[in-house]
Amino acid sequence: MRTYVVRRALNGLLVLWLVSIVIFSLVRILPGDAVIMQLDQAAAPTPEILSRARQELGLERPFLAQYRTWITGAVHGDLGRSLITRRPVMNELLKRINLTSHLAVMSIVVAMLIALPIGVLSAVKQDTASDYIARFFAVLGLSLPDFWLATVVITFLAIWVQWIPPIGFAPLWEDPARCLGQLLIPALIIGARLAAVSMRMTRSSLLEVLRQDYIRTARAKGTREQAVIVRHALKNAFIPVVTVIGQQFSVLLGGTVIVEFIFLQPGVGSLMLDAVLLRDYTLIQGAVLFFATVIVVTNLFVDLSYAWLDPRIRYR
Amino acid sequence: MKTVLSSLTGTIALITFAWYPSAAAAQEKSATPGDAPGFAYAAPAFIKELDSRYPAQPPVPPSPPRYGGVLHFPATVRAFDPTAGYRPELALVWDTLTEWEATWYFPEVQRTPMIRKTLATSWEMVNPSTWIFKLRQGVKFHNRPPVNGREMTAEDVKYSYELLKDKAQYSTRAALVKTIHVVDRYTVKFELSMPDPKFYLNVVDSLSPVIVPREAVEAPGGLAENPIGTGAFMLKEFAPGEGALLVRNPNYYLKDQDGRQLPYVDAVRLFFTKDPATDTALFRARQLDVSRISTLDVLYALMKTVPDMQLYRVPSFGWGDYGVSMALDKAPYSDVRVRQALSMAINREIVAEVINRGDAALYGPFPWALAGYTKRTDYTYANLGPNYEYSPKKAKELLAAAGYPSGFDMELEWAEFQGWTFNEFVQLVARFFGDVGIRVKLKQLETSTWIAKAAGVQPFPHTLAAFSPIGAGPSFMDWVYLRYHSSFPRTINREGITDPKLDDLLTTWRLDPGEKRPAIQRAIWDHLRKNVYRITTIVPPHYRITQAYVHAGANPYCWFPGYCSYEAKTAWMTEKAPSRKFEKFAQ
Repeated sequence: MRTYVVRRALNGLLVLWLVSIVIFSLVRILPGDAVIMQLDQAAAPTPEILSRARQELGLERPFLAQYRTWITGAVHGDLGRSLITRRPVMNELLKRINLTSHLAVMSIVVAMLIALPIGVLSAVKQDTASDYIARFFAVLGLSLPDFWLATVVITFLAIWVQWIPPIGFAPLWEDPARCLGQLLIPALIIGARLAAVSMRMTRSSLLEVLRQDYIRTARAKGTREQAVIVRHALKNAFIPVVTVIGQQFSVLLGGTVIVEFIFLQPGVGSLMLDAVLLRDYTLIQGAVLFFATVIVVTNLFVDLSYAWLDPRIRYR
Repeated sequence: MKTVLSSLTGTIALITFAWYPSAAAAQEKSATPGDAPGFAYAAPAFIKELDSRYPAQPPVPPSPPRYGGVLHFPATVRAFDPTAGYRPELALVWDTLTEWEATWYFPEVQRTPMIRKTLATSWEMVNPSTWIFKLRQGVKFHNRPPVNGREMTAEDVKYSYELLKDKAQYSTRAALVKTIHVVDRYTVKFELSMPDPKFYLNVVDSLSPVIVPREAVEAPGGLAENPIGTGAFMLKEFAPGEGALLVRNPNYYLKDQDGRQLPYVDAVRLFFTKDPATDTALFRARQLDVSRISTLDVLYALMKTVPDMQLYRVPSFGWGDYGVSMALDKAPYSDVRVRQALSMAINREIVAEVINRGDAALYGPFPWALAGYTKRTDYTYANLGPNYEYSPKKAKELLAAAGYPSGFDMELEWAEFQGWTFNEFVQLVARFFGDVGIRVKLKQLETSTWIAKAAGVQPFPHTLAAFSPIGAGPSFMDWVYLRYHSSFPRTINREGITDPKLDDLLTTWRLDPGEKRPAIQRAIWDHLRKNVYRITTIVPPHYRITQAYVHAGANPYCWFPGYCSYEAKTAWMTEKAPSRKFEKFAQ
């Protein structure tokens, strides 16, 4: 187990180093830069003034020199300063992650509350009316794009009840009512889609497990059906579901750009999109490296959780 | 869903009908409110209704104004720091030496730009290269450490101009300044690198350097952490990506025309919205008091659900036009006959129909007002000349005369950009050009690449669909001199226009003290409309909407509170406004 963890950690470091090189190179291949993207339409600077602005931002230094400065800082926990706001990248990220993690956790909770009972019901009552209805809504959830659902919800809320979720983030521990009022509807929208994926995965995985020999044995021993499903089948059926949830959680931490834009929730998604549009190199690099780290660590934990779910799994 | 489908169907029908002028005319005749087959609504009737219900100059707000309230409006600010970048909303906190004076009690505004004296109270031209500005006495910076409300003096003006004049955002106005001298505590002298008898226009708000205190700039975190100015509002909280809260500066030095202290509202809350659907939803939910609408469609939908809202429908000075820039240094665009033919090939009525249901004005080489045309009824083909009238037959003749009887291949680059609908525009243009034999290949660019091309940083091989290069205020220098004089690089003169006769006219204009300028400006207009260095088509109006409980001014240059701080300073709210707290942004 320890050898496995160490090996995975070393692999993770290698991945992060490669990510740092790729992202550092890619953003510089993009046309335009932070100086051009920040220009007001009415501005009319000369090329000399633009060049001076680039020098101030350090954009005219040699590529390797720029990389060395950045990666040295990153190793020491300093991801540099945003080219646009001039604030430390880590501060910008941490502020946004607070909201995004709230939204991600709430979305996962919403999704699980919907997906697990319905997925189990759908598997247990396979090919019945309740199964068909559940599958219909799962396909519907997959088919409705987030941006469409969010636009429709915000528009109709404004027209019918002259209310929309409040703007201005407050963490759950500071102002629970405001936090829930602000994030519940976006979480429901994101959670609805995630619920559809998880429900289908729960159903198919449980169906497969229910056909295993040990389930038949349990039933033959006279174990109650409820105990067969909850105690014997469900835990094993959760392995692919946990994989999906782990992946989705990583994706959600990366931000849900459209929903953030529509509900004016300044999460990581909108931060990243703004950074790309404005060519804020240091912010893009810092954010990508940070999330690559989160994903590497999350995947490691997901892999380790398999052993808890299924004791037959051994790590080598 | 029904609305979306209806809108989609309406758009398709509109393009189909608009293509056939006779069908469009028949449609217009039969169009009445609530009876508009093929359209989501009867746009021509709605436009007429707007013309009568909302005149260009809205009614004078009642007096006296009511103090108090928190004004909410959308904005885009990424850093509350003038050294990091320019945004007009920064003028809420930091003042320029002067502001544009243009309010509801000044109807002739477009012809005669007037200036409000803010930090500067008078100016004097010693010679066209030397200017002296007298500063207002007793103006205090915000009472916050490390500045602690000390008086603003000539040293601050010198420091601020030296700090900002070479920054990319401020260089349009301030790069002309060679040196600044402090004459005394309240007097500064500007030495210019070249003569300018109208230099005082370069210190007016929007893109001119703001006045900042040295202590705040040099303190840890700079202005971003110490946002201290002399403005009407003090920044209380900045929430990146969400918004900002600004509270009234109790020591602000400006008063209204009746001697009452400005500003009237207790605070201003900005929301950094990014999606039009969010803006309209916030407005419907009364979380925005003032907002911008990008199209007539959205305006119509909002009017149905918020019937008591107020509208200021501002004829655009020139911002937001639809045009095509050409690579003038290459054939066939170097030939004036080809450029004239391309311009004649476009039916601008149809462009207006497709872009904004017909609610748009014709647009020429530069803003009408700068050529002396001050009324909207002047915005006609007669005043633009034959090069702007739809005539495919003449266009073909000109192309044949230029040696292209079978047309030529053209690449037209474009991109999605903010509120513009370039997608529809380029498809229309491609079809119009196709009708005269030009084979157009549309090339969609990634927005940042397009911005780099529109800013003149990267070249375009053939043509580029883009708005015309603009100015920050109503200044001929910004809009015309800089954009057309051959001495400027492509980051300023996008197309690289090189025309000795035009240069002579522009130089004559620049050196004239003022008496002959209107006539020279008209001569430049005539020269440009004949040579068609840039194909211009239409410019939709601006729509500013306010809740019924808000009284705000009406300024054609700074029509939105964020664009000119004076709009926010003089806006006030009746007792019917929602009660709002302003201790922190998230409330």
